[in-house]
Amino acid sequence: MNAIEVSNLRYRYHDGTEALRGISFHVAAGECVAVLGPNGSGKSTLLLHLNGILPERIETPSPIQILGEPLVSANLQKVRRQVGLLFQDPDDQLFCPTVEEDVAFGPQQLGFSEAEIRARVQKALAEVRMEGFEHRATHHLSHGEKRRVCLAGVLACEPAILVMDEPTSDLDPRGRRDFKALLRQIPATKLIATHDLELAVELCSRAIVLDRGEIVADGPTRELLNNEELMLAHGLERPHILRHIHPH
Amino acid sequence: MHIPDGFIDGKTAVVTAALSCAGVGIALQRVRGQLPPRRVPMLGLSAAFLFAAQMVNFPVAAGTSGHLIGGALVTALLGPAAAIVVVTAVLIVQSFLFADGGVVALGANVFNMAILGAGGSALVMSAVKRVLPEKRGLVTAVAFGAWCSVVFAAIGCAGQLAWSGTASWKAAFPAMTITHIVIGLGEGLITALVFLFVQRTRPDVIENRTVSERQGDFIFVSLLVTFGIVLFVAPFACPWPDGLEAVAERLGFEQKAADPIPAPMPDYAVPGVHWAVGTTALAGAIGSVVVFALAWLLGRVLVPRVEVSGNPK
Amino acid sequence: MNQLFGHHHAHAHSPVHRVPAGLKLAVALTIIVGTVVAPSNAYGWFIIAAMVLVSAVAVSRLPLLFLLKRLLLLSPFVLGAVLANAWQPSGRFQWQTLVLKSAICLVTVIITANTTPFGKVVRVLQRIRVPGLLVTTIALMHRYLFVLAEESERMRRARLSRTFRKEGRFQWRTLSTVVGQLFVRASERAERIYAAMCSRGWR
Repeated sequence: MNAIEVSNLRYRYHDGTEALRGISFHVAAGECVAVLGPNGSGKSTLLLHLNGILPERIETPSPIQILGEPLVSANLQKVRRQVGLLFQDPDDQLFCPTVEEDVAFGPQQLGFSEAEIRARVQKALAEVRMEGFEHRATHHLSHGEKRRVCLAGVLACEPAILVMDEPTSDLDPRGRRDFKALLRQIPATKLIATHDLELAVELCSRAIVLDRGEIVADGPTRELLNNEELMLAHGLERPHILRHIHPH
Repeated sequence: MHIPDGFIDGKTAVVTAALSCAGVGIALQRVRGQLPPRRVPMLGLSAAFLFAAQMVNFPVAAGTSGHLIGGALVTALLGPAAAIVVVTAVLIVQSFLFADGGVVALGANVFNMAILGAGGSALVMSAVKRVLPEKRGLVTAVAFGAWCSVVFAAIGCAGQLAWSGTASWKAAFPAMTITHIVIGLGEGLITALVFLFVQRTRPDVIENRTVSERQGDFIFVSLLVTFGIVLFVAPFACPWPDGLEAVAERLGFEQKAADPIPAPMPDYAVPGVHWAVGTTALAGAIGSVVVFALAWLLGRVLVPRVEVSGNPK
Repeated sequence: MNQLFGHHHAHAHSPVHRVPAGLKLAVALTIIVGTVVAPSNAYGWFIIAAMVLVSAVAVSRLPLLFLLKRLLLLSPFVLGAVLANAWQPSGRFQWQTLVLKSAICLVTVIITANTTPFGKVVRVLQRIRVPGLLVTTIALMHRYLFVLAEESERMRRARLSRTFRKEGRFQWRTLSTVVGQLFVRASERAERIYAAMCSRGWR
C-alpha cells in the first residue's frame, strides 16, 4: 500500500495564480522523498494539500489518497492525525506559551488522557533531545531549539507520515547536522521539501523536482542531482558533495 | 490615557468593571457567532500587532512625537465586536506585564478605550458612511471615527477621575478633552492612511461587513456608549451649582465672548477655570465640525477621482 | 527586545518566583485593592503593604535599579495629575496620598510581573473561568508580541538604511505604510498559525 498517492492535483490561488498544474506521484510506506524546486514552484502549496489545509473546500472525488483512503472532509481529522506537518517558520508552529503546552497541543486535540498526554510529551521531547525544556517559554528558545520543539509537537501525535517544509533553513551548520541526525532516526514515511541539496542526498533515496506547479523529474536523488543540465534548468545545482564522491 | 491604580476609587472601579465585563462579554459572544474559525488566531495577532504598532513613533510638531492608539483602526479593519475583544486583550497584557494602566483601574481603562473608544468609533464610522456612501466617504468615516475614539475615551477618563474625586470635573474635563482633540488629529490621519494601505494591498483581510449591516452590534454598542455617557458625564452636567439653565446661559454667554476662530485653542484652562467646562464643550463641538471637514478633505486628497468613478476595488 | 521589557527576570529563581502563581496573583490583587480603597489616613495599611513589598523585593533579588527605572518610566501620569491638581481651586486634594497609593500599586504589579512567567498567569486566567476566546487572544498576543515587535524593528532599520535625506512630510505616509505592512504580515501569520493548529487536529 502506498503512503501517499496523488493523481492530477491542481490548485489555483484566489488571485488566479495557478500553483499546481496536474501533479501525480506516489510515495511508498517507509520511503524518504525529497521535493526539490526553485522558489515559487509550488512545493509548500503541495505539502499543505497532503494535510487537507488546502484547498479551502475539499473536493470529491479527492485527488489525494493517504494510506489507501481518499482525503475527503469526512476523514479529515483522521488524515491530520496520520500526516504530521512541519512548517517552515517555527514561530508559526509554536503558538503556545511554553514548550510543554505546545508539544501537548496535538495529543490534547486528539482527546488522550492526562497521563497519556504527559507520556507522549516526554517521549517526543526525548526523541528530539529536548528533555528538561518543558517549562521554557517558546519565544525564548534559539532557532534550532524551536525547530526541534516543533518536530516534537508533530511526533507527539505519532504520525505515520511526516511532511516537512524546509526543515533545515536558517539553521547554523551544527544545527543542521543535529537536525539531520534526528530525522534519520525517525522511522515514519518522509516527504521533505528543501533547498538543502546535501540533506536530500544524505537522507532521501528518491527526489521529485517541481517547477511552475509541474513535476519535471522523479527518480533516484543522486541520479537527478548529478544531471547538471536538469538542475540548472530548474534553478538548482549539482551539490558539492556529489562532486567529491563522483568526480567526472 | 491608561489610568494607573490609585486614581480611581472603589465605587468607580466596581461600576466600570461591571460595565466592561458586560460589554466585553457581549462582544465575545458576537465575535464567536460572526468570526469563522479560520480567523480566531487573527484576534491574538491583531492584539500583538496593535502593541507593536503603538511602538512606531510618528512625528508631531516641534520635535515631539506621538504614537497610534489603534482602537479605531482595529474597528475599521475587523469590526467593533472583534475590536473590543482585541483592545481589551491589549489592555490586560499592558496592565499586567508593563504596569501600564492599573489593575483595579482595568475596568475603567477597558471601558474608555475598548467600549467608548473602539465601540464609539464604530458608531461614528457607520453614521458617516450612511451620509457619504462612496469610497471617499469611507476614508472620511475612518479618519473622523478615529478622532472621535480618542476624544470619547478622554472624556470618559475625565468623568471617571472626577467621579472618583481625584480631579475636579472643571479641571479634568478641559485638560483631557483639549489635549486629546489635538492628539486625535494624528490618530485620525494615521488610521486613515493605514486603513487605505491595507485596503489597497490586501482587501481580503478586512472584515467587509459594515456596522450598519450588523444591527445587533449597532444596538449593543449604542446602548453601552449611551450608558457610559449618562453615567460618567451627565452627573457633572446636572448637579451644577446653578443648575442646567445657568449652564445654558453660560454657554450662550461664552458663545458671544469667545473668539469665533477656535483653532489654536488658547490656554484658558489655567486662568479661568469656571469658564473652562462650557468653553471646552463649545470647543469640542466646533472642533468636531472642523475635524469632520478635515476628514472630508482627507478623503478627497487620498482617494483620486479615477478610483471613485472606476471600479471600487 | 526582551531586555527592553525586562522580562528575563520572570524566569529567574527565588523564593518569590516559586510561590504558586495563583496565590501570588491573589496576594498582589489584595494589596492593590486594599490600597485603592484605603482612606488617606489608613497609615497602618500603607506601612504593612510597604513592608510586604520591601521584603518581596529583597527576597526576589530583583535589581533595585531596574525597579526604580520602571517606576520612573511609568510616572508621567502621576506627575501630570499632581501638576493638574496644583492649580485646582478646591485645593483640599491630597496629592501625597495619590502618589503613595499609585506607587504601592505599581511596585506590586512590577514585582508580580517580573517573578511570574506569563504562561502561568494565562493558566490562572483559565482556572478562574475567564472566557476561552479572551484567554486564547491574550495567550497568542503575548506569544507573538515579541515576534511582531522585532519584525517592526527590522522594517524600521531597513527603512532607515534607505533614507538619505531629512524626512519631511512624506514621513507620515512611509510610517503608515510600515504600520499597514505590519498588519498585513500579522494577518498572514495568523493564517499560517491557523494552518499549524489545524494540522495538529484543532477543530
